[in-house]
Amino acid sequence: MRLGFNFTLGDTYDMAQRLIAEGHIDYCEFLIDNFFCVDPDELAKAFDCPVGLHIMYSKFLEADRPTLVDFAARLRDYIDALNPIYVSDHILRFSHEGRAFFHLGEIDYSTEYESVRDRVVAWQDIVGHRIHFENYPSIMDGGREAPAFFERLMKETGAGVLFDASNAVCAHRNCGTPFEAWRNVIAEAQHFHVAGYRHSLVEPFISLDTHAEALAPDTLAFLRDFRSVFDKPGATMTYERDDRIEFDDIVADLKLLRDLFGQPEERRHDLALSA
Amino acid sequence: MILLSLPSRTDRDLYPALMSPELNAKYPTDHKAFVRIDVSLRMYWHTLFDICPELLELSGLDGMSIFRPFMAWAGEKKLAFDWSYYLWVYVWLRQSPFKDRLLADDKYLRSVMAASAARWAILDRGRDCGIVIGCADTRNLVIGWKCRSVRLGREIELIEPEEPLPAPPDIFGYFTLQTFELDVFPGWQSLAR
Ligand SMILES: [Fe+2]
Ligand SMILES: [Fe+2]
Repeated sequence: MRLGFNFTLGDTYDMAQRLIAEGHIDYCEFLIDNFFCVDPDELAKAFDCPVGLHIMYSKFLEADRPTLVDFAARLRDYIDALNPIYVSDHILRFSHEGRAFFHLGEIDYSTEYESVRDRVVAWQDIVGHRIHFENYPSIMDGGREAPAFFERLMKETGAGVLFDASNAVCAHRNCGTPFEAWRNVIAEAQHFHVAGYRHSLVEPFISLDTHAEALAPDTLAFLRDFRSVFDKPGATMTYERDDRIEFDDIVADLKLLRDLFGQPEERRHDLALSA
Repeated sequence: MILLSLPSRTDRDLYPALMSPELNAKYPTDHKAFVRIDVSLRMYWHTLFDICPELLELSGLDGMSIFRPFMAWAGEKKLAFDWSYYLWVYVWLRQSPFKDRLLADDKYLRSVMAASAARWAILDRGRDCGIVIGCADTRNLVIGWKCRSVRLGREIELIEPEEPLPAPPDIFGYFTLQTFELDVFPGWQSLAR
């Protein structure tokens, strides 16, 4: 399992460099549409490691075709310059009746399957690249339908799933989606996310995907129990941290992940070559 | 256990309430749906007051005397809650009982203009590099620049032009810049709702 860190804005540049230099991570995940005004060649030279590209605001379920075509044209420049390990996006809602959510919305997996599938097919076609779609940290009970939805989506569109393990933990805690229901999705997936979560301020408590705290014991237990389903040649896991960014805390979590998964094949190979 | 008469199986069932304190109040407080909506509403609250804490001097610490009536007004006007979110709060404040205190100190205006410029710079996915925001209540301009280097974030500039631009026809106006240079004035665009 290769480990990565999410690089969303310039403030964490030095820290990401240090994580790479000290061998805590093997690749970086760019929140790529934050960098659409940065020259692709500058971005390609930014880190001496492989990269993944994570899309935040394509809004491909909502945007019109010309907007998506223009977005994809710019994305393409970065795909060509950076030759990423993967390109990923989100299945979620950014707005309702033209009004933006500030806490993004989950789709209705049973009634929206066909329309989402068609959008996924069209979006991959416009980008000209396979895309891995991330699962949502479900709160409401409709989230129990997510595993079957993603399984079918992969089968019918050729898309991948970027499986966020702690989002699945939130969904498990909030609406009881069993970890076991994700087994096939995890087995098929190559690319993963993991992060901390926290509880809501008011009861009945729900778990929120916040990217601001240490990995929780149940997240680590989930990874341990499904270790062999997650780990496979070429697999990646991005540790996401967007708030309370403390180097030592991040390294402590990355060490837990290293202990759990061991050194990746690729790095062992590198080390053997340089020895 | 309270039986909930409103549909709440999926997140989608709650979409209209996610931006409405009024609708949230219709859900029993011990139900998960209430908490989920509360989480969403808190995001609107924090997006406003964490970035413009000065506004709490007007409203009092919980912000509710601004937040609740503003959200209700925004709902009636069907505001899109795009990058101009903060500017609309100012527009609302200007016709609220807070008006005199708001206009007595321009720090509130500077704060909302900078916040909106920053929000544009971080959220807009068009090809433009920068946005210039102007206001009828000041000659100063605020510019938001998108991230232009891997080592930098977005940048916000306050400009006091020697020769002021004509005032925008509405309270606020804006225009965008196709390069990282402020070298054109194409005229003011009005805020979209
Ligand atoms: Fe994500
Ligand atoms: Fe994630």
